[in-house]
Amino acid sequence: MDVNEISEGIFEVRKGGKMILATKNANPGSSVYGENLLEAEGEEYRAWDARRSKLAAMVIKKMKVPIKSDSRVLYLGAASGTTVSHVSDMLPNGIVYAVEFSPRTMRELIQLCDTRSNIVPILADASRPKLYAHIVEQVDVIFQDVAQPNQAQIAAVNAEQFLKEDGHLLLSIKARSIDTVANPSKVFKEEVNKLEKDFDTQFKVIKKHDLAPFHEDHLGLVAKKKLKEN
Amino acid sequence: MKIITWYGILTIGDDGVSECEPFNKDVDELAELLLQKDVVAYSPGSGFDIRAVAIECGFVENDEEYNSLLRDVSIRAAKLQISRTNTPDMQIIQAVEALDDIDDVVNVLSERLSEWYGLHFPELGLSSEPLSRFVSEFGSRNNVPAEHPMFEKATSSMGSELPSADEALIRTFASNACELYDSRHSIEASIVRNMEQMAPNVTLIAGSLIGARLISMTGGLARLSQLPSSTVQVMGANRALFKHLRGRAPSPKHGIIFNNPLIKNSPWWQRGKIARALAAKISLAARMDVYSGELHPEIKVNLEKKVNSIKAANPKPPVKQKPAGKGYKGKNKGGER
Repeated sequence: MDVNEISEGIFEVRKGGKMILATKNANPGSSVYGENLLEAEGEEYRAWDARRSKLAAMVIKKMKVPIKSDSRVLYLGAASGTTVSHVSDMLPNGIVYAVEFSPRTMRELIQLCDTRSNIVPILADASRPKLYAHIVEQVDVIFQDVAQPNQAQIAAVNAEQFLKEDGHLLLSIKARSIDTVANPSKVFKEEVNKLEKDFDTQFKVIKKHDLAPFHEDHLGLVAKKKLKEN
Repeated sequence: MKIITWYGILTIGDDGVSECEPFNKDVDELAELLLQKDVVAYSPGSGFDIRAVAIECGFVENDEEYNSLLRDVSIRAAKLQISRTNTPDMQIIQAVEALDDIDDVVNVLSERLSEWYGLHFPELGLSSEPLSRFVSEFGSRNNVPAEHPMFEKATSSMGSELPSADEALIRTFASNACELYDSRHSIEASIVRNMEQMAPNVTLIAGSLIGARLISMTGGLARLSQLPSSTVQVMGANRALFKHLRGRAPSPKHGIIFNNPLIKNSPWWQRGKIARALAAKISLAARMDVYSGELHPEIKVNLEKKVNSIKAANPKPPVKQKPAGKGYKGKNKGGER
């Protein structure tokens, strides 16, 4: 078999003797950031490099990505849109809200948005969800890759505002941006602890995995909102 | 309770949305409204589903229309935001960076030219810009006309002959360097022009190039105006500052504002005091530029008064004492400012 769907919208495509991670190109014929285009079974796929995308690394680490074809996704830390483009591929009937703080990288992200029908770009600070609460609806998935020292808090305030009760949080924690000298595994433990206890919105971690060798000192994490006890 | 969403203003009663005033369904108008300032004060509460209400109150027919309209509006708004962040000081920052880049490149080129042309005419004694101009004008030393001051040296040079193929190469190389010098001059002129227009007070006090460099280092005139003047005073003396903070050196007296003639042309024992006065006035000037934009010549007069009083109060170098700082052993001669 040349194409194998490993999760909704995420494929493995045979090229040479290898299976390569890919998503179905929503804008056939064009490559977003220089990635390879693969033809298989009459469809065009875009190769998805785990070294360039934390979400791809999470997929390769066998973490279940809860994104469906009609999901509504809030993507915090969209940068120039490398991963966002693949999320956009996965959502033929969904929508992704891409939040990015830097006008410089937003310039590139907008060029991607122009070629896709399901990306909503938002130039704002992800730590202040009230700044875009008038734009973003209730979402099924929050994916966060912001590399900020207070990333647990950013996840919590955004989940409080936007995440549906049964929604998922996908998080990439970069140990080096929280404490440059501490032992990463200690940092991870503390961050997980924070997510579980520190804020108004608390999470239950479903799965976590180190993203090495694709991303050193990064932890990938899937969590759900802990239901509030009344 | 009132809520602002991207598509309209909602009034929330006890049992859900009681009233919905949608905005005009026009992408440009919606994009402008998306960027209004009071969204934070009237933002929807957590868990509020703005999509469902948009369909309920008839702003859009269905999910598809909601998605595509919101997408168009957001893209338009983001583009607006980006074009608004491109302020005149961005232009200045890029120009200052370009100046530095050209300096780097042109130094390398002129060094190469000096070595290369030195094979042929070692007595010339020119360097950098004059050298490039000379080579691109004449090429071989045999072309130097009799009335040129270098004529004598050219005719009696000990350098080797320059074959015509090589002459063409070296001449092109030199004229490339000349073009970079030209570009440097015009960038500098444009910085001077822009600074006078955008930051007249800073230009008056610090000079246009130092002012532009300060703006470039801080990332904008508005940010410069928010800095304490003690920071302005030592900005650009990073190495010396951190050395000081680690306790291994006295505090730096001046950063890039050293290049201002007021400091540069003063004797060393007055420089620290003058730098402090100058930095204070630069901060003041930056604030005037940001908040009023009008020229206030009196700050220059005040600065001069202050500098004169410093000079009058400290006419002679102080008798040097051994500093008492911990771990600090004497002045580091030739060290950083």
